[in-house]
Amino acid sequence: MKTDDLINMLSREAGPAPTVSVARRLLPAALAGALVAASAVLAVLGMIPNEMFFEPGPWIKIVYAGTLALAAAWMVSRLGKPGASGVQAMYAVLGVVLIMFSAGFLSYLGTPESERAAALMGHSWLVCPWAILGLSLPVMAGSFWTMKGLAPTNLPLAGAACGLFSGAVAALVYALACTEPAAPFIAIWYTLGIMLCGALGAFLGPKLLNW
Amino acid sequence: MSLKPLWLRAQRGDSQAYRESLAKIAQRLRKFYSRRLQTLPDEVEDLVQETLLALHTQRGTYDENLPVSSWVFAIARHKLVDLWRRRGRRDNLNDSLEDLTEDQHPTAVEELPSKRDLGILLDQLPAAQKQAILLTKIEGLSMIEASERSGVSVAALKVQVHRGLKLLTELVRSET
Repeated sequence: MKTDDLINMLSREAGPAPTVSVARRLLPAALAGALVAASAVLAVLGMIPNEMFFEPGPWIKIVYAGTLALAAAWMVSRLGKPGASGVQAMYAVLGVVLIMFSAGFLSYLGTPESERAAALMGHSWLVCPWAILGLSLPVMAGSFWTMKGLAPTNLPLAGAACGLFSGAVAALVYALACTEPAAPFIAIWYTLGIMLCGALGAFLGPKLLNW
Repeated sequence: MSLKPLWLRAQRGDSQAYRESLAKIAQRLRKFYSRRLQTLPDEVEDLVQETLLALHTQRGTYDENLPVSSWVFAIARHKLVDLWRRRGRRDNLNDSLEDLTEDQHPTAVEELPSKRDLGILLDQLPAAQKQAILLTKIEGLSMIEASERSGVSVAALKVQVHRGLKLLTELVRSET
């Protein structure tokens, strides 16, 4: 077939371009993944006691993970569109992490010396990042499916965006079961868990997203 | 010269504008690829066709705030890298044309012969998809006529055409 014939073929009765809505794919994917992750973590660890919701701990996690998820979703939508720059969205992700780091650092400085180690390491620093990584897997499947429906041209970065988003949603879910109250702990170990998800996404991107 | 006004009309469903845009884009792609595939001139037209198919199946991902060319060439570059990757020859990605001036670059605006025949690949599609594409895209029936002829609803035909072209794009990739 000649290229001219191909062009005639493609344009004939082509109709308007389909509208691609990132939100319409990412939102259900995230909800479904979060539901699976939530049932897993609640079955294994159970919900935190209700009184904890009157302390700042869970809310810091929820606000941190929630804003990070929004910034990462923005990254997903930019990196799924050829020619669109993801730089601003990446700065947004970085900005959220930096704010959390600063808050964690200030809280660390304000903690009496004898309690600092506990504020930093808690009782679950070894579990937290891996729990977030594990919980991110169902969301990861959904966010990669979303990206598959778009047209990423930078595959490692597009994969990383999916990974960060999944990690942030997983952290949000993990906050329901995690009894660590301290901001320094959240700044370090939650962030590490989310970054692990981003790294896994960057690794999987070139393998799964090519088109 | 900006493609954008023409392209925006095409995006909204003007087939004539779409045909013209694709023809212009094909010329730019041919130039782009012939500069970068000097060692593989035979691949140029195939890659132009592959990219046109990809542009078509992904045209929903065009962001109206961007120049059309950013979108087109981001995809073109992706397809070029993909070609090298499939051939396992990343080193050729860096062409040595930097020391030539623009007018010394070989350019091909005329259509080159393609090695691969998309018509043959079309035969490999599932029957329903092939029929939908043949009726509406090759014979040029309107969706309604094609629906009457085939007894398939317009909505289903549209889905078959879309799936068929997507699969065709994948066939083209796996063939190289």
